[in-house]
Amino acid sequence: MTAPRFLPCIKCLIAALVIAIAAALAFIYSGLYPVGADDHHTPLTYWALETLRERSVDRASSGIEVPADLDRSERLLAGGADYNDMCAGCHLKPGKDESDFTLGLNPAPPNLTQPHQGEEDLESRAQHRFWVIKHGIKASGMPAWGPNHDDERIWSMVAFLRRLPELSPEQYQVLTARGSAEAPHH
Amino acid sequence: MTYKTLRWLAVLPALILVLAVQAHEPSEHMEEAEKPKCSEMKDMDHAEMDMDDPVMQAMMKKCKQHMDKKDADSKESEHRHSESDDDATRKSQHDH
Ligand code: HEC
Repeated sequence: MTAPRFLPCIKCLIAALVIAIAAALAFIYSGLYPVGADDHHTPLTYWALETLRERSVDRASSGIEVPADLDRSERLLAGGADYNDMCAGCHLKPGKDESDFTLGLNPAPPNLTQPHQGEEDLESRAQHRFWVIKHGIKASGMPAWGPNHDDERIWSMVAFLRRLPELSPEQYQVLTARGSAEAPHH
Repeated sequence: MTYKTLRWLAVLPALILVLAVQAHEPSEHMEEAEKPKCSEMKDMDHAEMDMDDPVMQAMMKKCKQHMDKKDADSKESEHRHSESDDDATRKSQHDH
């Protein structure tokens, strides 16, 4: 008849908890955790972080209303120029498949010139992207662009991202150039 | 826990700073007021362009000035363009 005595052992539980917290604190203060970006997480940590991110973005972005005019050419031009200025260093552009940022950041920025993998529909992908661009992702290199860019500008980048994987380097150059066309010399 | 959080507070601004510095590298700088390279478009076969495609519409808009100037006199057409850019898209959308 010893089993029942284990169940109400609240003192043991509290002691275990205190020890766990103390151990966690000792670990943090010890400096033993390798914080270098070139030190990779274990597969389990990657899975936990990725799942955490996906579930969180999914939930937070689910009510966002996607504008009906993401197809407009004006959006592509506005979003293209912004993308080239602010994002291409990390997320690449046609004809480029690595940069200092894709090599050095952990988690690495996804290559947005590649066709998107995953089975979510266009609508929720647009919601996700809008949310991530506006709010950024904590403890990764992805900044929040919301503080300095209004929603319209962000939607234009979302619109541009939809077409980015099919652009050739030449098309990309024309769409993203901020300057205006030069008259051909006669 | 606080240390970890604080660390990110320090790392993120640093990253953004690095990016700002990167944008001032000479090679990046050249791109700042980059002009669209429209000459490739000029050589395209107009019959094969899909004018319903927003990408094509956007490229046309970007290169309109360039393409028109092939046969129009510079000053007048430049003036016309600054006003008619919007009409042009609307028209091309209505065409279909
Ligand atoms: C300093 C590098 C950096 C810059 C600049 C940057 N990003 Fe990111 N971005 C990242 C990283 C890193 C991730 C991945 C974060 C993660 O996996 O937790 C990311 C993720 C994303 C995602 C989510 C992709 C997906 O499929 O889950 C989108 C969309 C995105 N960025 C868009 C942009 C846009 C648009 C810009 C420019 C306004 C931009 N990013 C600028 C580093 C950057």
